[in-house]
Parts: sequence; structure tokens; C-alpha cells
Amino acid sequence: MAAIRQSGRNSRLNKKMAIWALFTLMVIIAVVMLYPFWYIIDNAFRSAGQFDRQAGHSLIGWKELFANLPVAAQLLNSTLVCAASIAIILIVSTTAGFAFAKLRYRGSGMVFLLVVSALMVPLQSIIFPEIVNLGNVHLTSSYAGAVLVYAALGTPFATFLMATYYRGISDELIEAAVIDGLGYERTFLQIAIPLSLPAIATVTVLQFIQIWDDLLVALFFLPTNQRTITAGLATLATGRTTSIPPLMAGSLISAIPAIVVYLIFQRHLVKGLTLGMGK
Amino acid sequence: MAQIELESVTKEFPDGTTAVSSLDLAVGDGELLVLVGPSGCGKTTALRMVAGLEDVTSGTISIDGRPVNDVEPRHRDIAMVFQSYALYPHLSVYDNMAFSLKYRRAAKAEIRQRVAEAARILELEPYLQRKPRQLSGGQRQRVAMGRAIVRQPRAFLMDEPLSNLDAKLRVQMRAEIAQLQRSLGTTTIYVTHDQTEAMTLGTRVAVISGGVLQQVAAPQELYRRPANLFVAGFIGSPPMNLIDARLERGGAAGDDAGPVVVFGPHRLAIPPEVVAAHPAFERYLGEAIVLGIRPEHLHDAAIAGGPVIKLPVRLREELGSEVQVHGAIGTAAHVSADAADDLRSLATIVARMDPRTKIAEGETAEIAVDTAELQFFDPASGDSILA
Repeated sequence: MAAIRQSGRNSRLNKKMAIWALFTLMVIIAVVMLYPFWYIIDNAFRSAGQFDRQAGHSLIGWKELFANLPVAAQLLNSTLVCAASIAIILIVSTTAGFAFAKLRYRGSGMVFLLVVSALMVPLQSIIFPEIVNLGNVHLTSSYAGAVLVYAALGTPFATFLMATYYRGISDELIEAAVIDGLGYERTFLQIAIPLSLPAIATVTVLQFIQIWDDLLVALFFLPTNQRTITAGLATLATGRTTSIPPLMAGSLISAIPAIVVYLIFQRHLVKGLTLGMGK
Repeated sequence: MAQIELESVTKEFPDGTTAVSSLDLAVGDGELLVLVGPSGCGKTTALRMVAGLEDVTSGTISIDGRPVNDVEPRHRDIAMVFQSYALYPHLSVYDNMAFSLKYRRAAKAEIRQRVAEAARILELEPYLQRKPRQLSGGQRQRVAMGRAIVRQPRAFLMDEPLSNLDAKLRVQMRAEIAQLQRSLGTTTIYVTHDQTEAMTLGTRVAVISGGVLQQVAAPQELYRRPANLFVAGFIGSPPMNLIDARLERGGAAGDDAGPVVVFGPHRLAIPPEVVAAHPAFERYLGEAIVLGIRPEHLHDAAIAGGPVIKLPVRLREELGSEVQVHGAIGTAAHVSADAADDLRSLATIVARMDPRTKIAEGETAEIAVDTAELQFFDPASGDSILA
């Protein structure tokens, strides 16, 4: 009896130690992840001199940022480009994903494979053909060009995610709606879309972060007066010397929308990312 | 209400699989026809073709005399209850039931009235504002039924609607479906692999195997007069005992004695009225046949009369209302090519006996056989000789 009690005590002790070890590991990871944020916030409120000395705080960095960069206009540009690109990505990926998952037609597997294989093509390898093609239709140096490129780049992954999600929705549910009197179009709008909100939230958040933070497409496809905030911030670091505090202030402003979008969709995002893992 | 007819309906999938082969079926107005068969036999595919969810490869499906092969599901005016219930998870019970009416642009007052009536019949009134995830399995099943009946369609199609319920609830819901169908009088095709469900629910039962219709008949007819070995083995639990046997003329050659069936060391005289009713017996005299004996037609000779065979008892199972006795027959049990594994009874036959029987394991029991109820099948075609 005493041996059983002793074994029970040991087991509880081991469990407690395991929990503490895990907790310590999580704290270390959290510190590593959050330190850059702290570094940005801390140094955004310094002047160049204060940054060099790493002592004292002021709003000089912010004043420099707003003096050198049309922050509001560039935030608006980022928002417009993001919203338009994500709208196109969602329209294409939800309809295509539904078709791949629920409509049977000859060769759909091959077409799906083709779409998904586009995931493996790096942007850098197609950027010049993109410039040439869009230049031929006079869409470089405009919102439209950048939006089309972002949509083209984001759609394969989004389609893959949506198709995977729709495959998880029972065929019988779709068939029930069809028998209830809806065609496939209205079944898609009335049943599939409301049920796929977690996947739509996931696509929205992931694409928002990707497009908002992108530099390459924004630099190549947008004219100076239509630059996004990320491209704008990059210009702060193009001189022979770079003043870090305004860059940190700009990075902070730039990060806020992404954090807000993430917080809004967070609950759905977790559901969406774990889709297909079981009941 | 509607009459549904399937004429030579065949379904071949692109990979070459023939799911349904030349199916001929007619479902009468207000009838509840059950399609029963083992998994993968094509019964659900047949139902889905009637619903319009699968294209027909060849043949014609008609509803009230009008071919509907090319009519979209939504224009066939049928309602379907699915195995998974297929309730819309984001809608309340009320909205699930009202869904089809809304999209058919029914008046709001009419929708309210029909949903209320269905909810009353199905005792769903307290749950109308709940979401499907907040309901038990039985309640979800009722909502699925409610969604079908509010539409007042010409026909119900039900695809194993009880298979997700536990055994007790299944019995209760089975009775409710039967009552509901009778009170509404709506033509219904019901698919199941459960023969008890099929026998208790169906006005008629269609047995399907390998995409081919084996027999369609009233439940009792199906049980008492199986058209072939498949139906004989599939319908009934425990299944019919099937034994390789021979038909011989009784007594010496040239004698006028009637035919006897011989299996192992056993000989059973076939009653003259059975022989008289089925002249085909003559053709099989001296030939191998498959003998079928339902377990309830074997009795303890100490309790019931009739021709007797002696069997060593291998197992006695007490089931309360009856005793099942497994006896060695001293010859091979019939094993057909398409027989399920549970039919391979390894030279053992099962008898369902009166619980008062004293027959014990290890003894050689005297078993009385109800020879008027014997079944005989052609071993080559599998068809009943009595048909």
C-alpha cells in the first residue's frame, strides 16, 4: 500500500516538473518572439542621439517620420491594395475551391493539381515576365497591376485551403440544399459560404499579412505616389546613413493594422488552421 | 402523392463499375417500398438516381408517368432524408425546417403554419430555436424528417435514416417513421441494410445484390417464399440453414412413393401436397439440390411432432424467449459463391426452439422437422424450385 502511495507521489511530482519545464520553454519562446516588438516600441520613441546612447526617450523619431513620409497616404494605399487583392482572392478561391471539392467534372483533379502546383513557383522567378505582360496591357505603375499580381500570387494557396475546407463539408449537406430547391449557385452562397467563414477568415488574415508586408511587388508595380507603407518605409533606409528611430516608428504604425486584423479574425483563424484535424 | 417507376435502369460509373443493373421497380401511390441489401449492393445509388443526384446511364425513371431522367432534383418535388441528416449547422431547427419553403417563396404565414404543424407532429416544439449541434441524435433525426414533411412533397426518399442511432432509439424511431408515413400517405422509398428495419417498415421489400434486383415482395412473402439462395440467406436472423442435398424417389425403384430429400445420413419425405403444388420437383429427382430450412422449423421432437432427424448437439444458446440449438448435420452445408461469411455454417444447422426444451450440449437430439416449410433451390442457378 505504501509503495503504491509512493509511486502515486512520484508520478504527481514528475507531472509537475514536466509542466514547469514546458512553462519555462514557452516563456523563453515568448521572450524571443516579443523582444523585436519591444525593441521597435522602445526605439520608436528616441532621437538619433538617444538611439546611439540607448538612453532617454522623445517624439523626434515620429516627427522625422511624418516629415519624410506621407504616412497617411501610404497607409491608405496599403489598405486599398490589400482590400482589392483580398477581395479578388476570396472571390476566386471560394468559387474555385467549391467547384474542385463539390462539383464532379472530367479533369477536375488535373486542373486542381495545376493550380496547386503554382504554389511552388517563387515570385522572384516570374517577376520580370509579370512586368512585361502587365506592361503590354498598360497595367504597370498602377494599383490595378499590383492588385492583379497579388491576387495571382495569393489565389493558388487560398484555393487549396478553401477546397480542403469544402471537402470537409459533407456532400449530403450540399445535396440536401440542392434537393431543397437551391441550385448549385445558391447552395454555394447560402450554405457553403456561411459554413466556410473560418477558412475565409484564415485566407483573409494570411493574405493581409503577406500583402501588407510585401516589398518587392509594391516597389516594381506601384508608382511613387501610390506606394504602400512597406515600400515607403524601405525608402527611409536608402540613404548612406539610416536614422533608425523614424524607421522604428514607421514599422510600429505599419504593424498595427496587421495586429488589428489578426485580433479580429483570431478565433476563426485557429479553427481554420486546424481544419481537417478530426471531429 | 406519386407513383415512381424505374424501367431497366442501369448506372455505370466512369471507372466501369456497374452499380445498378437493369433495375425494374414500380412504387405505388402511398406505398412504402424498402430497398434492402448488403453494403455496396447499389441500393443507395438507385435512390440517388430517383432523387436526381446521380445521372442514369440507361433506362427511364418516371414520376407519375413523366420521365424525369433529365429533370433537376429541385424540380422533381421529392424530399430526401439522409443518413447523416444533413441539417444546416448554421441555421436553427425552425430555419432548417422552413428552408425549402422560403426558397420556394411560400407566404410567411404558410411557412409558420407548416413548420408549427410538423413540429407538433414530431414533438419538436421546444427545440425550434436551437441549433442542430444542441440536439440529440434522435432529435436531429426528427428535424430531418420535419424538413422533409413541411414541403409536402410527392415522395419521400430515405437513405438509411436510422443507422446513426443506438439500437433502442432506432426501434422507437422506426415505429415513428412507420406511423408518420401511414398517416401522411406519402409515397416513400426507404433504403436500409438492416433486414429487421426492412421487414417491419416496408409495404413491400426489394432485395438487391450486386446491383441486381433479387426479389420484390411483401415482407411475409419474401420470408416464406424466397426467390433464390441470396434472398433465403439474407432475410432472416439467424439465416436459413442451407444444405447441399439430393432429391430422390422414396422407397424402391418403380415404387409410387413421393420424393425424399437426402442429406448426409438423413432422409426426409416431402409432403405430397408440396410435391403436388410444385410439378418442377419431377425434374430434380435424382439431382443435387440445395435444401433450405428456417431455424424455427426445427423443433424438439419431445415437444412438437413431425419427421425426425438425429443431430449431435454442439451448442445450446439461451436467449430467454427461445433456445438456439446448433447441431452437426453430418454433411457439408451449402456455400454459394456469393454467400456472406456468416452463412458458412461449417456443417452446422441452427434451430430456434421452445425455451422448455431439455436438449443439452453433447447429446444426440431428436429434432422434428416441419417438412411443409422446407425450401428447395437449384444449385446451379440458385433459384427456388418452388417458385
